[in-house]
Amino acid sequence: MEYLIEQALNGFSIGAQYSLLALGLAIVFSVMGLVNFAHGEFIGVAGYAMFAMAAMGMTNPWLLVLFAVVTVVLAALVIERIAFRSVRDAPPTTGLLTAFGVGIVLQNLFLLLVSPRPKAVPALSALNQTVDVWGHNFTILQFLEVGVTAVAIGALVWFLRGTRIGLAMRAAALDFTTVRLMGMRANRVIAFAFAISGLLASIAAIFFIARRGAIDPFMGLLPVLKAFVACVLGGFGSLPGAVIGGLLLGFIEVMLIVLLPDKLAGLRDASVFLIVGAILVFRPQGILGKRVELGDKTA
Amino acid sequence: MNTISVAEGRRSPGLVLDARLAGNARGALYLAVIAAAVGLLIMAFGSPFIVRLMATAYINLIVVVGLQIFMGNANVVNIGHAGFMALGAYFVAIFATPVMMKAVVIPNAPFGMSGVEVGALWAFLISVAMTTLIGLISGLVLVRLAGIAATILTISILVIVQGVLVTWTDLFRGAQAFFGIPKAVGPGLIILATVAALVIARMFKGSRAGVQLRASATDPLAAEAMGVDVKRLRLVAWVLGSAVVGCAGALYALYAGTINARAFYFHTAFLTLAMSIVGGMRSVTGAMVGVALLTVLLELIRIVEGGITVFGIEFPDMLGLSGLMLGVIIVTVMCFRPDGFMGGHEIEEAIAALRKRFGRGKDES
Repeated sequence: MEYLIEQALNGFSIGAQYSLLALGLAIVFSVMGLVNFAHGEFIGVAGYAMFAMAAMGMTNPWLLVLFAVVTVVLAALVIERIAFRSVRDAPPTTGLLTAFGVGIVLQNLFLLLVSPRPKAVPALSALNQTVDVWGHNFTILQFLEVGVTAVAIGALVWFLRGTRIGLAMRAAALDFTTVRLMGMRANRVIAFAFAISGLLASIAAIFFIARRGAIDPFMGLLPVLKAFVACVLGGFGSLPGAVIGGLLLGFIEVMLIVLLPDKLAGLRDASVFLIVGAILVFRPQGILGKRVELGDKTA
Repeated sequence: MNTISVAEGRRSPGLVLDARLAGNARGALYLAVIAAAVGLLIMAFGSPFIVRLMATAYINLIVVVGLQIFMGNANVVNIGHAGFMALGAYFVAIFATPVMMKAVVIPNAPFGMSGVEVGALWAFLISVAMTTLIGLISGLVLVRLAGIAATILTISILVIVQGVLVTWTDLFRGAQAFFGIPKAVGPGLIILATVAALVIARMFKGSRAGVQLRASATDPLAAEAMGVDVKRLRLVAWVLGSAVVGCAGALYALYAGTINARAFYFHTAFLTLAMSIVGGMRSVTGAMVGVALLTVLLELIRIVEGGITVFGIEFPDMLGLSGLMLGVIIVTVMCFRPDGFMGGHEIEEAIAALRKRFGRGKDES
């Protein structure tokens, strides 16, 4: 029982990271139809921003975290302006491939400017301390992951429902032309979508870096693939779907870590993808996605 | 939209099919002649290093052509092809490696595979057949999905193949290199196979199935209304594509003699995908242009990357420069020519357009 509770929290905390990343993907996709393959590199941006600041002598973890978040949001806005604005009206495949190119650029910038080898970022390692709660062993990080993610999702819901620009973003997911006819600037709506996606990614990135204590140029690849999987599982473009898909993926992963013997540890990622593939075969539209028949007039 | 082929211009009633076939054959011939001529010239005059580079580039070209068959016609981004390359390479390695070597490399192979040895040609055929079979099985699942979900599934295939290769050490040697494969293939055979792949891809693109598939990628609703069986066509393209990519993997194993599972993962997948994008994934000529451009460019950048001295100034090592340029090229091409360098056109169309522009004759006589 005790073990089960610990693993459940584990599933929640890993799932929370995937949810945050998947939400960012889903927001950008729902607003402008872009599949942002470069989303994982936001983790790298956060990591290298922290690494650079720490190397310059900044030790306060709060300032480091703040700096990482601001850098990622700015990076998201800059990338949107430089790369994605010019392919805004292009078919989804073009957008996907552009994002893929942006991802390669960022990865290799880290590689070129810093080092191809992993670098240590120990500033947040203190969060991995275990605490004793009613006889169970948890790390502070796990509580933070679940708590902060819940707050972030709450804030996002408030933003989307309670503000004018949030309303515009929800409307844009259905019909962008009408949103523009109502006098909202397309550039502003999309910039907000990217800023939010960057913000959520930076939160996930901080947890990710705190867990690993190290960064490397290609660290964003696997998390973003998992976030994609989470999105597709939940129904691509659906925000609640992204959260549910992320949590489900977290649980599947923890379950596999527990169930698979060490000898088969190499099959962990393969099994995750196998399970996901199986789910998709039976529900191609994802868990929350509506089945769209050819010719249906849906957004 | 892109015109279907040169046949369009001289279509006469009753001769539609033949004209199309002739147009396709002519297009395929252009590609075959160029690929063979460039390859043979390099083989005749190039240094051993250049010949090796050419052989790798041509194997990449087969992969990109295989990628084009599915991706270019069905318009679904495929990242799983490196997995099929791995399968082709490993199957050939398991069948062709001499029993004596296997006692060292995979002594505990299951199914009694450590005692099996067949000739390189048979191993190649078995390997391509098995890869095609796996392509068929995965394809049956894949055609149920569309768009981004299908792309995710191709990534799943790549991750699963890699996981199995690395974990099943008794059969695949895991993360260690599989060595001792007979080097039965030289540059000449690789050129031949490349020519064959180009012809297959070009003929498929212009065939009835290819035209219908491209139509369905442009407008699924209209295509289905016309009675096009989209799923079946996508399956055909997927299986054909995986067979061609499997061929490339098998040839690579027989050429290099040593293979490593890590070499068939995201890096290879992304590099060949980039070649396809830069050249233009909707055209077979584009595959050729993309491979040629990126191979030459990356090789030039690699010289700079290792640190060079210009006018007495020493430049430091710049690891990652080639990757950086690769990304910049992809983004630039997508921004200014979203359809790639060839813009979805084939070589004969480009020639015809050039002729028209310079006013030399209205059309070919």
